[in-house]
Amino acid sequence: ARKMAEIAGDETPPLPSSSGAEESSLLSSPPSPTAISGDEPPPRTRKPGTKRLVLTASVLLSFLVGLPLLLKSTEIHRSPLPSDAIADLSRRLQSHPPSFPCGLHAVFLRSGPGSPVASLADQLERAISTQHHLLPASSTAGNISVSVTIQSGGGCTSSTAAASPWRCGLLTAADSVRDDEVFDELLHSALGGRDGDGMKVYTIVIAEDDDGKGTRVVIGKHRHAWVVGKVDEAEALSLIGNVFIKYFMNGGIEEGETGIGKGEFMPVGSDGNVVLSFSLLNADPNDWVYDWEFKNIGERILTPVVEALRPVADINIESQVLYHTPKSSYSYSDDKLGGNVLSMGDIPFFVNSNEWHLDTSISATGRSKVLQFVVYIPSARECPLYLQLPDGELSKTNAFISPMWGGVVIWNPPGCSVGSKKAHGTRRQMSSQELMETLEIFIGQLRQLFGLKPNYHAQGMDVATKFLVSEKGFAQWELDLLYRHHACSNLLSCVATLESLSSLVQSLPRMIVMDEIGRQVELSLEAASLAQRNATLGIGDSSAVSATRARALAEDAFFHPSIMSISYASVEHYFAIYME
Amino acid sequence: AAAEEFTEELLLRPLPDRKALAHFHFRSSAPPASAAGRHHHLFPKAISQLVQKFHISELELSFTQGRWNYEQWGGYDPMSTNNAKPPGVELWAIFDLPLAEIDATWKNLTHTLSGLFCASINFLESSTAFSAPRWGFKLNEGNLRYGALPREAVCTENLTPWLKLLPCRDKAGIASLLYRPSVYKGYYHSQKLKLKSSQSLGIILDQTLTVVLQPNTVSGKQLHSTGGQLQPSWSMEHLFSKKLSGKCLVSKSSRVFVEIEKGIVDNVDKAGSDVSSNNDLFVLSTAPDRSLKELDNLEVQSSSLYEYDVNNYNSDKPLNVGITWKLPLIWSCTRAPYHASRFLMGSGNERGSIAMSFLSTGLDKQLVDSSNDCSIKAVVFQVVPWYVKVYYHSLEVFIDGNSKAISEVVDKIHVTPSEDKLLPGTMEMLLKFPCSMQLATLTLDFDKGFLHIDEYPPDANQGFDIPSALVSFPEFNSSRSYPEADPLFVSPLLENFKEDGVVKSYTEVLLVPLTTPDFSMPYNVITFTCTVLALYFGSLLNALRRRIGEEERGLKKAADKRGLIPLLIAKLRGQKVDPSESESTSPASLPRSKLLLKVVFVAVVAIVFHYLSNS
Repeated sequence: ARKMAEIAGDETPPLPSSSGAEESSLLSSPPSPTAISGDEPPPRTRKPGTKRLVLTASVLLSFLVGLPLLLKSTEIHRSPLPSDAIADLSRRLQSHPPSFPCGLHAVFLRSGPGSPVASLADQLERAISTQHHLLPASSTAGNISVSVTIQSGGGCTSSTAAASPWRCGLLTAADSVRDDEVFDELLHSALGGRDGDGMKVYTIVIAEDDDGKGTRVVIGKHRHAWVVGKVDEAEALSLIGNVFIKYFMNGGIEEGETGIGKGEFMPVGSDGNVVLSFSLLNADPNDWVYDWEFKNIGERILTPVVEALRPVADINIESQVLYHTPKSSYSYSDDKLGGNVLSMGDIPFFVNSNEWHLDTSISATGRSKVLQFVVYIPSARECPLYLQLPDGELSKTNAFISPMWGGVVIWNPPGCSVGSKKAHGTRRQMSSQELMETLEIFIGQLRQLFGLKPNYHAQGMDVATKFLVSEKGFAQWELDLLYRHHACSNLLSCVATLESLSSLVQSLPRMIVMDEIGRQVELSLEAASLAQRNATLGIGDSSAVSATRARALAEDAFFHPSIMSISYASVEHYFAIYME
Repeated sequence: AAAEEFTEELLLRPLPDRKALAHFHFRSSAPPASAAGRHHHLFPKAISQLVQKFHISELELSFTQGRWNYEQWGGYDPMSTNNAKPPGVELWAIFDLPLAEIDATWKNLTHTLSGLFCASINFLESSTAFSAPRWGFKLNEGNLRYGALPREAVCTENLTPWLKLLPCRDKAGIASLLYRPSVYKGYYHSQKLKLKSSQSLGIILDQTLTVVLQPNTVSGKQLHSTGGQLQPSWSMEHLFSKKLSGKCLVSKSSRVFVEIEKGIVDNVDKAGSDVSSNNDLFVLSTAPDRSLKELDNLEVQSSSLYEYDVNNYNSDKPLNVGITWKLPLIWSCTRAPYHASRFLMGSGNERGSIAMSFLSTGLDKQLVDSSNDCSIKAVVFQVVPWYVKVYYHSLEVFIDGNSKAISEVVDKIHVTPSEDKLLPGTMEMLLKFPCSMQLATLTLDFDKGFLHIDEYPPDANQGFDIPSALVSFPEFNSSRSYPEADPLFVSPLLENFKEDGVVKSYTEVLLVPLTTPDFSMPYNVITFTCTVLALYFGSLLNALRRRIGEEERGLKKAADKRGLIPLLIAKLRGQKVDPSESESTSPASLPRSKLLLKVVFVAVVAIVFHYLSNS
């Protein structure tokens, strides 16, 4: 302030010129009364001239000339985002959530001779159609087209609705006594033998057969199930409805259970990549060291699973063996059970992130997801180690999962019992049989992480139900379910991201928006509408692929490095800089 | 197929200046396989994936704290050649990629390593930080990149990720000796990671840690009856506060070596006793499992190694190798032919010179016959950041104080001049010194550049570090071989000793003070300019608007005139107002209402603006 005063003092020398006199008198206020009493200037007689006006105007003009320059220099580049299209897509998704039309095809295999009556098929079709109000709202299934085929000794009759893929006469009710696996494949070939693209048609075959064993339901590996036994028409209709809605549409998940479509997230990175990292943890190598032959056995068992899940996620598999990795929760010895017991309450502390260097993978770059699958080999002191369920029972698999993280299997090496002698540093190999069993548990955990049931109990069905297990780990109808839900959740997530981006950009008018972001948003919208179109056609897998792409692009745009940087300034900041 | 292997070794060596050297060597190897980078048993997954992703054929990363003392600790042995590293971080890598892709890959690699080792290696990403030497550092086809960060502080956060790459980490085996307080108390500490990958051999990962420690023995100062001072006797427990209780169980071999330098061996020979683990000069606390003798090219024994197999020791019977001296002993390590050092000349913030001196250590006298045309070759490689603008034409050479023509001394030179904010200056130079020379000095002039205000690092007044220069002597080879009858005896540590080891030494890091601006200057300038502008516009507007003459008249009138309120009261009372006074009231009340209008207008504008800006 002192400096300013000095400058001000320097700048106003008492010059005799008129302006100088004015200024000096201006500064030395209040004016001394002697100045007034002296010979005062004559009062103004004429109007002020234009000189002052011109001078004032020139100052103003120089400001006005500078203004465009100022605006130009503070201009920022904002790529236009198609916010209308985003809002439109969001509205469309809200009013019509993606629904996949599918078909239900009921086949009645009658053993009796004679040609079936055509009107019976139509009548059955109507009866089945009326049941679909049972479908819960959360399901992703859309229109269901029902068709009925009745085959008896004399030939086949189909209801008028659809051209049935059923190859008449290839299969009779008598075949159903064969082995289930064989019958499953026979049915598959009778239904055209391909998993097909386009709308998915689920087939339920009612094979009339009174061998006295009672009624049973078998759900196959593909998109069909069959009922064997003596069932009357009403019972058959209710079974068809039950199986179709409960399993084919909802994956056997009851109301109130967590699972697919119940707010569970898919453990898939937003770029559609997943790394499955398998680790064998030797808690204390001083007792025993185990190794595994994961490269051959693991790859062989897991490759079909990876292939099956490809529309949902791009999966990479890795494995490693780690040593000196103790668990970080306590277990207590239980003499009755003959081992050490870990109760459910201690599980949250089991994973020891200080000592378990599970490592994120270099191949899991960006926003991809790593799922850890850990085989824990207890040390001699804590061996055998069992997991105890809350009801006091021991866990059958001795394994647990942690959603979005992965799973842990506790593997007690053979010959380990309480007080077993240390094998002192012997290196052993996990046998291939044991490894395969462990991997099966892992596949079950993977199913669970993806929101399916690890295995089915025929709950709520009043007849014996059997599920055929696919070597892919997922049956075809389960995959359909997965694709549908994946497409839906990705579409919703994509739209949510795009909406946030659009509102962020609108709320910050001085934010720089790169052209690349605009392009990514457009591509994402394109992929999203493609996914929607595929959904309306009932093509689940390609819809899932497009939805994944749409989400990945939306996330790319949202997390673009230029958005993260502080390249925008608030209005206050802007004024502070330029108006000061 | 061959399996993945892991070996661990430790070499201990007494140093002439009463210190002790410990050199840890861990080797993990992975066979070439189609599934490389995906399935591993012992080899660290992260390293394997790194090699796959960045197509690395060779890589070396070292973290060093302290300077290797070439005079005292040796300059002509495999240890100093391979494991003496410049302070801070040094990284070089050879890529198996087309030349056009290498720079981009290097940038990604620095970021990955930075994350992997918890260090700011990512500062090597910028093109001003790395260079591509052709032959001065290591002969290559243009696929080598070299970068150094002399100021990087190395501490335990870098050691932990490094240990994570070992299968047993520091939970068991030789690495369990790495007790952090004793390791970081040392005089020199260099942790290194060296990778070699090829289609035929797979990946070989060598992790070494070299520390120079002061043994903390209580009886360090004991005097011998002959009057001389004894070297401190030490053992593992003194060095690391720990004993070795067994090997890492998954290691293929686990060994501890004690190396006795040639200087001591000669003394033992002189004393007339046999070089065994218990002789007239010293005794090793534990009897070794095997002793190895190095044979040089003249078939004369030079140094000896005592080997301990850790397999024979466990927690009940821990290994605690130590050495106890019986007689005072003075010896020296073998030194490089020239002692290279680098320093700055000149003063001021504008210009200066870099000087490099080569002082003969007298080694050449013994090795080379002093005929007239005898010469010794030396290769100099130095990288200088762009803000130190070196004028390479100003190179001057002085030999024993006399200026020499450059062509007499410099055999071959390759210079990449620096480009502002783009490229560092790189100099590779092959020198030929006459054998009889005692001291050679090279000088190079430079100008100090200016950095942009936001390019200065924190604490810019400390100065800027110029990375160490590397001097190598291609005619001198430090490799050592230990002939061994047993073909099953495979030691990666001794294999490394046997490998071609051209004698190398790093010079000091230079600290160049640059002109640093007053970092508050921009704000001063802004304040100053704004003050001047405000004064100018203020007085200009005053000059334009105010009419002093009229104001004075107005004041005079106002002095005569009654106040507005008594006037209004008089008017309300119906009194006749003096016409001369009524004339003056209307102009007086008009400005007031104008003022009121103005205030209202400003308030409305403010409200509208606020409303608009908030909506």
